[in-house]
Amino acid sequence: MVYFINDIITGALIGLLYSLVAMGFVVIYRASKVFNFAQGELVIIGGFIVWFTTMQAGLSLWLSIPLSLVLAGLVGYAIERIFLTKLIGESVFSMVMVTVGLLILLRGLVLLVFGPAVRPFPIIFPLKPLFLGDMLIPMNLLIGGIITIVAAVGLSWFFNRTRSGLRMTAVAEDHVVASSMGISVKGSIAFAWVLGAILSTIGAMIFLSGKSLTFLASDIGFAALPVALFAGLESIGGLILAGVIIGIVQSLTTNYLDPLIGGSLGSVVPYIIMLAILLIRPTGLFGWRTIERV
Amino acid sequence: MDPSGVFPTSYRSDRRIVRTRWQALALVLFMGLLLAAPYLVSGRIIAILNMMMISAVIAVGLQICTGYAGQINLGQAAFMGVGAYTASILASKTGLTFLLTIPLAGLSAALFGFLFGLTAARIKGFYLALTTIAAQFLFHFAVLNLPSTWLGGSNGITVPPAELFGLRFVSETAQFYMNFAVTAIMVAGAFGIVRSRFGRAFVAVRDDDVAAGIMGINVAATKANAFLIGAFYAGVGGALWAYLIRFVGVDQFTLFHSIFFVAMIIVGGMGSIVGALVGVFVIRIIQEIIATVGPNIADSVSFLGGDIVFAGMNVVLGGVIALFMILEPKGLMHRWNILKSSYRIWPFPY
Repeated sequence: MVYFINDIITGALIGLLYSLVAMGFVVIYRASKVFNFAQGELVIIGGFIVWFTTMQAGLSLWLSIPLSLVLAGLVGYAIERIFLTKLIGESVFSMVMVTVGLLILLRGLVLLVFGPAVRPFPIIFPLKPLFLGDMLIPMNLLIGGIITIVAAVGLSWFFNRTRSGLRMTAVAEDHVVASSMGISVKGSIAFAWVLGAILSTIGAMIFLSGKSLTFLASDIGFAALPVALFAGLESIGGLILAGVIIGIVQSLTTNYLDPLIGGSLGSVVPYIIMLAILLIRPTGLFGWRTIERV
Repeated sequence: MDPSGVFPTSYRSDRRIVRTRWQALALVLFMGLLLAAPYLVSGRIIAILNMMMISAVIAVGLQICTGYAGQINLGQAAFMGVGAYTASILASKTGLTFLLTIPLAGLSAALFGFLFGLTAARIKGFYLALTTIAAQFLFHFAVLNLPSTWLGGSNGITVPPAELFGLRFVSETAQFYMNFAVTAIMVAGAFGIVRSRFGRAFVAVRDDDVAAGIMGINVAATKANAFLIGAFYAGVGGALWAYLIRFVGVDQFTLFHSIFFVAMIIVGGMGSIVGALVGVFVIRIIQEIIATVGPNIADSVSFLGGDIVFAGMNVVLGGVIALFMILEPKGLMHRWNILKSSYRIWPFPY
């Protein structure tokens, strides 16, 4: 029974990590109407920036973490300036395809610049797990979960209650209408990508703390995809619930169902949930219902 | 586009594929050159041509699904994989002739594609791209985790060579003619599909699905059909691939390969069968150059090792996709058509 509860708690915390990465998707979508397929790539770029500032440049953590976040923000800004500013007002198809192009472009660049070698990642959060009776909870996930919840509450207040957040929401509705209302679409998209890159870097820190870093870590981007869809692409608060549900289901499948069938069903269960949710309720749990006009 | 004042006067002339004598001549020359290719060029180029023809079948399928019907499909490599696995299992376990396994491979891939096409009834745009990505992951999961006696697991399956009347298609030249025959049939079929009632329904749904529905087109069925046809082409291409490589493994059908196919139709031009062929040609040449140049660079930059080809391919193709979307979203074919029509109507502007 203790193990069962422990599995649930760990699963929920991993789910919160997925929520944090998924928050990158949602923030970019919420402020620019661009669905960023290259989210996982942003996570490893963030990871490599953190690795570079700590392990390579030898800065202390207190200096390197803020520096990494700033650098990641600059990378996000550069991507937006080079690729996405030019596509404002273009069709959804162009936007999707550009981010798909970015996905393989960034993957290739990371491989070319850093190579396929496995690198040690700095220990950002204490390695010692937290013991609760017989249960053991990984410290990095616990702190990460708290960061995720704080970020979700903060961002959802920003997007739903403040003036500048609501402006960005208007951009997500329609680029042309938003810009004719005097809202800076460029500014909004730039902000979205900076924020998305920063969130991805925080995700990388939590995910990789004390582990090893290779370009394969970008798979977390696709692991987070079902969470973003389950919550609905416009809802930041909903990510917490969606992440926790998917994390728990995945953890229970991995620990109890996989030994029975002898396969790794746990790794596809999120996608099965995603397919189901796309079929039953395409807008997710808390997404906006769109009304079509001809 | 014809010059102003020149119109087709009958339905037949409107739907004609070969419109001018020059086009007929070009077609005959092109086919003749391809048929004679094994006697004109070396084995290496024949190998490249084989790859190009197989990619052409798959890219033409993707062109129908994405370019004509407007349904974003990032799972074309998975559909191709379903076809390749079907063909190789049928060929290695039951010993069926390739005359049957290739269509059956197409049908099984079409069924798989149709299942994902059904989701298009409810969702659209990039949501659809997400379900096709899910198809990609589910395919991998199924191959790797089902008992390895079924699908070979991570070991893959070895495929016996195609055989007809005691003639074994093992040499590059023999395979070239087999691929040529199938590709010619499939491409001709694609021209037929896109100018038929189905093709016009695809274009209507792509341009505005709500309006198409009001005009009486069954939008959901049309979208599912687009996936069915696209996946059928991918399955046939996959079967050809299985017979060419004589081995199938799950690593040959990843998301990256799907994106490469998307790159082909973007470069060639969306909504044009010839564009898909042009795109296949350009992208395959680029891939071939990288595969040749890459190892030489790898010798000087040793820490990258064998990954440089994969990395370089991703950088170049990713860059190509992004550049085309930003600078020339309609592809090379559009550029060519502009050139052609300004030549025809010269010296008048229209």
